[in-house]
Amino acid sequence: MTLDQLYQQRILEHNQHPQHFGPLPSATHRGRGIDALCGDDIEVALVVEAGKVVEAKFSGEACAVTKASASMLMTWLIGRPVTEVAMAYGAFQQLLANPQAPANELLGELNDLQPVGAFPARRGNAFLPWQATLEALGPELSQST
Amino acid sequence: MATDRAAMTSPSIDVEGIRAEFPILEREVHGKPLVYLDNAATTQRPLRVIEAIDRFYRHTNANVHRGVHQLSVEASEQFESARTALARFLNAPSEREIVFTRGTTEAINLVANSFVRPKIKPGDEILITHMEHHANIVPWQMLAEATGAVLKVAPIDEKGVLDVEALKGLMNERTQLLGVVHVSNALGTINPVGEICALAQRQGIPVLVDGSQATPHLTIDVQALGCDFYCLSGHKMYGPTGIGALWAKAEHLEAMPPWQGGGEMIRHVSFEKTTYNDIPQKFEAGTPNIAGAIGLAAAIDFIEKTGIEAIAAHEMGLLHYATEQLNGFEGLRIIGQADQKGPVVSFVLEGAHANDIGTIVDHFGVAIRTGHHCAMPAMQFFGVAATARASFAVYNRRQEVDVFVDALKRAQDMLKP
Repeated sequence: MTLDQLYQQRILEHNQHPQHFGPLPSATHRGRGIDALCGDDIEVALVVEAGKVVEAKFSGEACAVTKASASMLMTWLIGRPVTEVAMAYGAFQQLLANPQAPANELLGELNDLQPVGAFPARRGNAFLPWQATLEALGPELSQST
Repeated sequence: MATDRAAMTSPSIDVEGIRAEFPILEREVHGKPLVYLDNAATTQRPLRVIEAIDRFYRHTNANVHRGVHQLSVEASEQFESARTALARFLNAPSEREIVFTRGTTEAINLVANSFVRPKIKPGDEILITHMEHHANIVPWQMLAEATGAVLKVAPIDEKGVLDVEALKGLMNERTQLLGVVHVSNALGTINPVGEICALAQRQGIPVLVDGSQATPHLTIDVQALGCDFYCLSGHKMYGPTGIGALWAKAEHLEAMPPWQGGGEMIRHVSFEKTTYNDIPQKFEAGTPNIAGAIGLAAAIDFIEKTGIEAIAAHEMGLLHYATEQLNGFEGLRIIGQADQKGPVVSFVLEGAHANDIGTIVDHFGVAIRTGHHCAMPAMQFFGVAATARASFAVYNRRQEVDVFVDALKRAQDMLKP
């Protein structure tokens, strides 16, 4: 896996122009993702209505991989039922664990992050926005089970 | 300072000859020759250290201080001569003042639990500085929480220099201990430890010095410094991991109760009462890291034979060259700009997160550290969550700085908007 595959154009674009980045004062759910060791600190803010994510934004400071992952994840989240998120995270983890794994239809653009899996020291960065999202959705998820 | 003396005498070293002693430097990373610039995290080991450990396990291995058989006698002799070597290295008055530990962290915890804890009361104070490594923060915080004592922190300035006047102002009759780092791992700052010890001594405040980043670069003379405790880690000074030491004045060690109980630290045990061994064994419960201590002695031999002043002069040359090169980068800010610095350059680059820089330069074979360097409060002071840090050792070449700078340019180009 080469460096260019990790820092591919799409990841760099999301890093420089992250989607759904900024404050979300109307958020009903918030979660924080901190990787103190490498200096990532992000917040995921969501508006959840009737078991569906209707708005999603992230803020904070992070490396290119975390930012790209968060940017793609926020886009993906909007309109999703909260029950789909944990399942999708499992699929995302599997995608990064196996470089030969075929693209997962459920994940959409997030499939582009597969090359991160080849950089074990950076996998945590790709997962951080998911963890913050699951933390935010914690109360919803326990209600829905 | 050793660096000043080194600059005056300008001793030179044979870098290529030294590199030949470090087998790891021959390897490649991602198809490129390894450029190892993460020496403040851990140095590499010279062959004589690797071979000393290998020889011990192949030839001498036995437990120490408890057998009449030949191997045990030889192992004990080698272990104790490592203690003697370390005492000489620190100019300690006696090898009885050297306690082997797992490293600096354990040495500090030993002092916290065995020296400070028995005498500290609610409202008493422990004084540290804003540039301490977590190892010289957290043990004191834990102690303060458990005892109702208060942790006081002396400020630093924008250059990363300790405000000694403010530190002096924070010393008072409630201060039970002052903990200060000799050379900051995150900023590079060399603190005026001798001056600080003199100030503390006037008020009867014992001083603990975290020397983990100082021992590979400076001449250490614990008597001249005037401190009470000096802590070090073997792996920061070309020795093995898992071995380090606490130097403490004998009067302190005599008065301190043991911290951990077990074998080795006792003289006589019955179910009614146990009497403890003499110092330093009183603080070395259990079978020690014998091979580690012997490896550390070999590392000291490496430093002494190479010459600490020659090492420092070479590393300062690299630091100045690297600093010059980095100053040419647009948007680069060096964190830690003290006049007196160890061979560490920490920086942030606009538009490029430290993590991404670390990954990209790694693909050019360059190992640097990225993150908070276990000094989060110091990072917070400079308003950064993470920095990239290059740190130098005796085996680094000037050309390696060029490789690093070129790789950094690539990172900047790759990540730029």
